Amino acid sequence: MELDLREPLRYLGVRGEPDPDLLRELSAAADKLTRSVTPRWVWRVFHVKHSFDGEALEGAGLTLPGGLARTMLGDCAQAVVLACTLGAGFEAMLRGEQARGMARAALLDACGSAWVEAGCGAAEEEIAARFPGLHLTDRFSPGYGDLPLALQRDICAILDTPRRLGVQVTPSVLMNPAKSVTAVIGLSERPQPARVRGCGYCALRETCQYHKEGKSCGA
Amino acid sequence: MELDFLYDGLVMLDGAMGTVLQQRGLPPGGKPELLNFTSPELLRAIYREYIDAGSQIICANTFGANALKLAGTGYSVDQVVSAAVAVAREAAAGTGVKVSLDLGPLGELLEPLGTLSFERAYGYFKEAAVAGERAGAELVSIETMTDLYEARAALLAVKENTSLPVLATMSFEQSGRTFTGCTIPSMARTLEGLGADAIGLNCSLGPDLLLPLLRELCENTRLPVIAKPNAGLPDPETGAYGMGPEDFVQALLPCLEAGVTIFGGCCGTSPDYIRALAAALKDKMPAPRTYRSAGFVCSAMTPCFLDGVRVIGERVNPTGKKRLQQALLEGDLDYVLDLAVQQEDAGADILDVNVGHPGVDEAALLPRVVKKLQSAVALPLQLDSTSPDALEAALRVYNGKAAVNSVNGERAVLERILPIVKKYGASVVGLCLDEHGIPPTAEGRVAIARRILDAALEHGIPAEDVWIDCLTLTVSAQQDQGLETLKAVRMVREELGLQVVLGVSNISFGLPNRAAVTRSFLTQALGAGLTLPILNPNQREMMDAVAAFKVLSGEDAGSRAYIARFADAPAQAVPAPAGALTLEEAVARGLEGDAGRLAREALRTQDELSLVEHRLIPALDKVGADYEAGRAFLPQLLSAAQAAQAVFEAVKASVAEKGGTPVKKGRILIATVKGDIHDIGKNIVRTVMENYGYEAVDLGRDVPPEAVLEAVREQSIRLVGLSALMTTTLPAMEETVRLLRALPQPPVVWVGGAVVTPEYAARIGADHYARDARQSVEIARKVFGA
Repeated sequence: MELDLREPLRYLGVRGEPDPDLLRELSAAADKLTRSVTPRWVWRVFHVKHSFDGEALEGAGLTLPGGLARTMLGDCAQAVVLACTLGAGFEAMLRGEQARGMARAALLDACGSAWVEAGCGAAEEEIAARFPGLHLTDRFSPGYGDLPLALQRDICAILDTPRRLGVQVTPSVLMNPAKSVTAVIGLSERPQPARVRGCGYCALRETCQYHKEGKSCGA
Repeated sequence: MELDFLYDGLVMLDGAMGTVLQQRGLPPGGKPELLNFTSPELLRAIYREYIDAGSQIICANTFGANALKLAGTGYSVDQVVSAAVAVAREAAAGTGVKVSLDLGPLGELLEPLGTLSFERAYGYFKEAAVAGERAGAELVSIETMTDLYEARAALLAVKENTSLPVLATMSFEQSGRTFTGCTIPSMARTLEGLGADAIGLNCSLGPDLLLPLLRELCENTRLPVIAKPNAGLPDPETGAYGMGPEDFVQALLPCLEAGVTIFGGCCGTSPDYIRALAAALKDKMPAPRTYRSAGFVCSAMTPCFLDGVRVIGERVNPTGKKRLQQALLEGDLDYVLDLAVQQEDAGADILDVNVGHPGVDEAALLPRVVKKLQSAVALPLQLDSTSPDALEAALRVYNGKAAVNSVNGERAVLERILPIVKKYGASVVGLCLDEHGIPPTAEGRVAIARRILDAALEHGIPAEDVWIDCLTLTVSAQQDQGLETLKAVRMVREELGLQVVLGVSNISFGLPNRAAVTRSFLTQALGAGLTLPILNPNQREMMDAVAAFKVLSGEDAGSRAYIARFADAPAQAVPAPAGALTLEEAVARGLEGDAGRLAREALRTQDELSLVEHRLIPALDKVGADYEAGRAFLPQLLSAAQAAQAVFEAVKASVAEKGGTPVKKGRILIATVKGDIHDIGKNIVRTVMENYGYEAVDLGRDVPPEAVLEAVREQSIRLVGLSALMTTTLPAMEETVRLLRALPQPPVVWVGGAVVTPEYAARIGADHYARDARQSVEIARKVFGA
């Protein structure tokens, strides 16, 4: 599993060719992080029942409502729900870095965001290997498009993340530790087109500097 | 209750309740505690199956019976606990099987990861424990804890409010750590010290993967050890656990050989597993145990075995340090944290923490400092105070096994402090003096050391937790005392076998080139047997001496640490040519060290205010302008802010020395709104604004609207910044703004955060929207006119 430094640079809003000092410090932060924190994940697969109310995950007691879930899972007989986290260890490291200076902390924070995404990517590979005959859809998460953020709570309950990953969901539906992701991935008999990437699905598009300049961050 | 059975022979617990209930129809995510009312017959049947299978202790169905998890169910903790214990007791009636109250995690994360305070957590556990004893539970099982802090809160709550024995188990990952980073030695020695009756591991892994962890646990405690593994790992396709009863038992038997004597099962196990286990263990005897007796202190994440030289950092002590005195009086805990972090980076193993100063309420401040330090520093702490109230308050909230500095040979002192040391399982430093003063001879000091050791043993404190300070006297005043101290060190090591502490730097007081004398004394004292030097780890030559000693003593095997220490040391720092770097450039380039140095130089000829206004702020503005133009980015903006912080530190030190007026341009209040626990964005804004000279009152994260209102009223705040990260917490931002707007003289409010937009800011009545820290500074300028 590797941390692609372009990701944290993007989160930090760095455009153009980065300053060599910055790149060196970022690389040091990434090394420190990847040496001591390993993303952990759990996932479960459910059969999908397509209904008027949404995409029902059978046996999970959960229906994913809305257009995004319908588009993504329309062609899928099964779906995986996934949770991935950097855990409390990252949070402790980030508190330590904040005590040593916010510049380093901001770099570590950005690396952490990239690292939990890398963990999701590794989880996807594990899932793909487990279902060699099937094709995976893009990974999509509560809060994307019209998929309600509140589903985070349900996904964490289904996966028993407090016990299995140490991830809690707060009453305001935030995950704690913060560097945690929940996601859904459809499994289909047929190859799946890329669908959810791009500004149209991004929660930050209204204040995004790239977007204002008519560009894209590339995610 | 009679506890002997925990110690004599093997004990059978029960297996899972939650997963058994799911097999019998409880939907995932359903609340098992409500079954105490709706399906008591189902629970009774499961208990009876466990009892028939051989369980000698069954856990009542109270794993989630706390006020947080029961909120919204319509039932009180007392109702649920009473009903659950009653059902279990009915099932156990006439069998001799004991009923345990079961306490699982509260379901909210404690500080610093979450926002639940230790004190509130304690309160929730107390409520359940008291209800359990009243309902007739005969013991308490604290289970599945992953945060040592929460386990401590639960254990203290049970011990202080009931007379029930406690079995405490935590869940570890294969890595040997819990989710929050707690290690096995930290868990074992902290919980044993706090008075658990048996400790162990439950959940998370199958018995095969738990075995090495149980071995480590058995080495680190004298208590009976419990194993309650899962039935392997769950399958992601079916959700079923992988091990059947026979495999489970076969994998669990080696744990018996490792020293485990109390057995049960967790997720995925059932009465069948317990039956198979009971049959397999029927004629087995407990295996012999070997305890690793060693001096030990720890934080949750960092165990520290005292099996060599360990450096205690001395910097958090206000004696003779004006800047720290000022920080303590102002409650500026960030400054204290900064001192701690520097010592951690310099290689200290333990940090001494002393906040005693006239005008400081130690009993209130010491626990606050402990909480602050353990939120960001991994090292164990030595709590340094003469006040029993301060020590007790600090030990209570300390997450690990601390040391207490200090007692002495005076009977009254020993009687005052040792009970507190014993209660919290701490180590204690004993000073070789008493009401008659410091004995001039080594023999006299050793006699006091012996008295302290005897008193500690009488109080149930083991010898390994007693550290003796032989006392360093100033050699320029009492020249014969240098050798006498060294002799005492040797005697305490050889005759009593205890850890030896010395604050070494006192030796050279009043002499020129103090470092030469101190270092020479340190080396000799280490040779005489000193194990715990108290010193300033920022003095590299002292740490070098310790590193060299560890090579000579053989502690540093293969000289590896020594070689690593000097492998990347710069050959010789090249001094910057004079005039090469200006303060402005140092700030712009984020060179903290240079900025601080240049500021101190500048303050010789320039006053504090003018330095800030005419040199620092313009330098920051230049970086800010580059940032806005897209020529510099957030990391550079923050590096410049940090360099500015070094300038401000020089300014504060100068003010503390000379007693001038602090440079403060205006006071702002800043908070992350209720429900929002992610605060790095807010912290970034705060850092940048503080380094423009604004005084920030930071209320932290998850701040209720009323708390913002109250602080604004009490402190006459004119500018308030609110941050929200998620759509789900925007309503709390709106409510906070609404409350502030209703004040007779409302403050100016600016808002920001990932999902906040200028339109939203206008709609909820905020005065300003800020995209980032830089725009926040511009808003403050408008409000304060500077």
